Amino acid sequence: MEFTINKNDIIDVLSKIQGLTGRKSSLAITESLLIKTNSSSITVTATDLETGFEGIYSANIESKGTIAINSRKFYEIVRDFPSNEIRVCETENHWIEIGNQNVQYHIVGMNFEDFPDIPHIEEVDYFEINSIAFIKMIEKTIIITVGSDDKRTHVNGIYFERIFNQDEKKIRMVSTDGSRLALVDYTYDKNIELPQGQAVLIPKKGLGEVSKFLKPTETILIGVQGNNFIIKKDKETMIIRLLEGSFPKYHDIIVKGKAHQIKFDRQLFLMMLKRMSILSSDDYKGVILNFKKNKLMITTTNPDIGESKEDTDINFDGKPMEISFNPRYFIEMVNVIDESHIILRIIDEEKPCQIEGVDDKSFLGVIMPMRI
Amino acid sequence: MILHIDMDAFYASVEQLDNPDLKGKPVMVGGYSKRGVVTAASYEARKFGVHSAMPMFKAKKLCPQGIVVPGRMERYSEISKKVFSLLETLTPLVEPVSIDEAYVDLTGCERILGTPQEVALNIKQRIKEAVDLSCSIGIAPVKFLAKIASDINKPDGLTIITPGQVLNFIESLPIRKVPGIGKVMLKTIEQLGIKTLGDINKFPEKMIRKRFGKFGRRLISLSKGSDDSAVTPHLEPKSVSTESTLSEDTNNLNLLRRRLLKASEQVGRRLRKHRLKTKTISIKIKLSDFKQITRSVTIKEPTGSSKTIYHNAIALLDKYRLPKKVRLIGVGASNLVDSKIPSQRGLFNSGEKIDENWEKVEKAVDDISNKFGKNTIKKAALF
Repeated sequence: MEFTINKNDIIDVLSKIQGLTGRKSSLAITESLLIKTNSSSITVTATDLETGFEGIYSANIESKGTIAINSRKFYEIVRDFPSNEIRVCETENHWIEIGNQNVQYHIVGMNFEDFPDIPHIEEVDYFEINSIAFIKMIEKTIIITVGSDDKRTHVNGIYFERIFNQDEKKIRMVSTDGSRLALVDYTYDKNIELPQGQAVLIPKKGLGEVSKFLKPTETILIGVQGNNFIIKKDKETMIIRLLEGSFPKYHDIIVKGKAHQIKFDRQLFLMMLKRMSILSSDDYKGVILNFKKNKLMITTTNPDIGESKEDTDINFDGKPMEISFNPRYFIEMVNVIDESHIILRIIDEEKPCQIEGVDDKSFLGVIMPMRI
Repeated sequence: MILHIDMDAFYASVEQLDNPDLKGKPVMVGGYSKRGVVTAASYEARKFGVHSAMPMFKAKKLCPQGIVVPGRMERYSEISKKVFSLLETLTPLVEPVSIDEAYVDLTGCERILGTPQEVALNIKQRIKEAVDLSCSIGIAPVKFLAKIASDINKPDGLTIITPGQVLNFIESLPIRKVPGIGKVMLKTIEQLGIKTLGDINKFPEKMIRKRFGKFGRRLISLSKGSDDSAVTPHLEPKSVSTESTLSEDTNNLNLLRRRLLKASEQVGRRLRKHRLKTKTISIKIKLSDFKQITRSVTIKEPTGSSKTIYHNAIALLDKYRLPKKVRLIGVGASNLVDSKIPSQRGLFNSGEKIDENWEKVEKAVDDISNKFGKNTIKKAALF
């Protein structure tokens, strides 16, 4: 095979694809890219065995063929290549030549037949969604990270469900680590026809990788086919293998029942939390929120370092309460709310606290207190 | 000055105290099973050459008339507590070394308590009055010499090494008496012609350091009569563990699980006693070929619950495929944190409330055990 590509056409995707090919998998060949020629383009495929990527990029095809080449090395060669035109050519026994008259690389390729199959996509009922909205859904849910040794499926995946009823039509993504929960809705016009289907669990890792490939100003298609979640752009397709497992019944904890509603300036609240979390450590994670009449005092006590306190005026006329929280949880949630003011809904020291923007109700965060 | 107080033949003396029939007779405390060892021997038994850690069958051979009594740890620790609390009325600087041994630092107390000799005689008398047992006391300016001194006139001894006597004492102190020198090291040291601790000074320091590494450095300072280890009152434990040898090697998982249950309860109780929680739970298994295996798991939220410790220990055991029968099994807890540290609540765990309630049950059981003895209340599986 032999083809010539323009550096600018593929440098961006080669850089983004490193997240997938850089991940250790049980097959060594997943560190490689599969490149296949079409009549006037190449198809680049990568996978970490959970998330697959396929993209089509225009190229000058001299002769047909397929190669498997180390992704990292190919990216670095292309990135630092002195000219725009790059010629790639397979010689024999999987040896690959890259270069022009002045620069020459001779690279050991892999046997492309060993490259794992990417699930074949047939007819899928897609949702159309603005890519910026989808990126935000992902960003707001994958803030809840999970330890690499945590095997529980409901914390490794994001719950993707469709809520269709007479009043509204929306898709929802929910994420949790067992102590906190983030929920984002995307509402459609209720007259639009949307595909039905069961709720599914999409791996956080895969969604994180996929969001890199999305540009903010395009319309994309998302859908579920069998065991896979599919994100489709014009020339690029991403396939994430779904997780098998159940997601906890979270509806009880997002009910907006009796609670003290407290409004905060987002930036001030964020800074206050940051100042108070300076003294927290691995062992002493918590800060204490002391609610008194029209006053909130946040205190930190860490026997290894010292103490800190800060107070601020709020609107509060309930019984005084002392509630301990991991401030990092609040900071991460407040960070993804794009409004000037936020609302905290606090019940008591044992019940989850809800957090959302004043106007935009598409995001809801829930945080469980610490046991004092 | 530092005092080292050592109860005389502690377990055996307690047995003789509680059962006057045993007085003046060779008593050997320990297990009678084929693996049993002597944990303590009365002075009458020691005359026959019986000493602690000796296999019981061997002791029986040396001293056929010896009376074997099983140990009663609870009774010993009860008396031990009385002795320690008595020492603590003198000064807070009391460092328990084991159930029957402690260091007391008198520095700065001479004006109140009197001369070290007066204090020592006072301690001996008060222990005699309180628990009717004798002890031996060594007095010296440093810890290691105090310990050696207490061993000199046993039983009921009192030996003082004054600061002026220190160097002379070291000069003639047989090197094998120095704490930390085992059989192997003794051999190397004696090959060098070193017979007493003072002999160390005859060699260039560089050579001693090269030969014995870190311990060499300690030997050099000991040989000059200095010992910078201080008397440290009860340390917060860095880890808690317990293990027990099975009466027979086994691969019976039910039996092993029961052992883990018992061990987990002991570990949990000790954690709660010190108001600590653990983040890392481990099991230790010694196989019939004496090969030792440890497996551990670090949990997200620290726990002080015996139940949680047990569940993690069981999971570790179940994950490990036993290649041989098991000789010894135990549970450990490390990575300890203050139990008052707030812990994160879970959103969905309906089981959390149950765990919280279990912790309350465990605390209540601890209180009952403390008041009425460890065997008054326990898990049905352990009866």
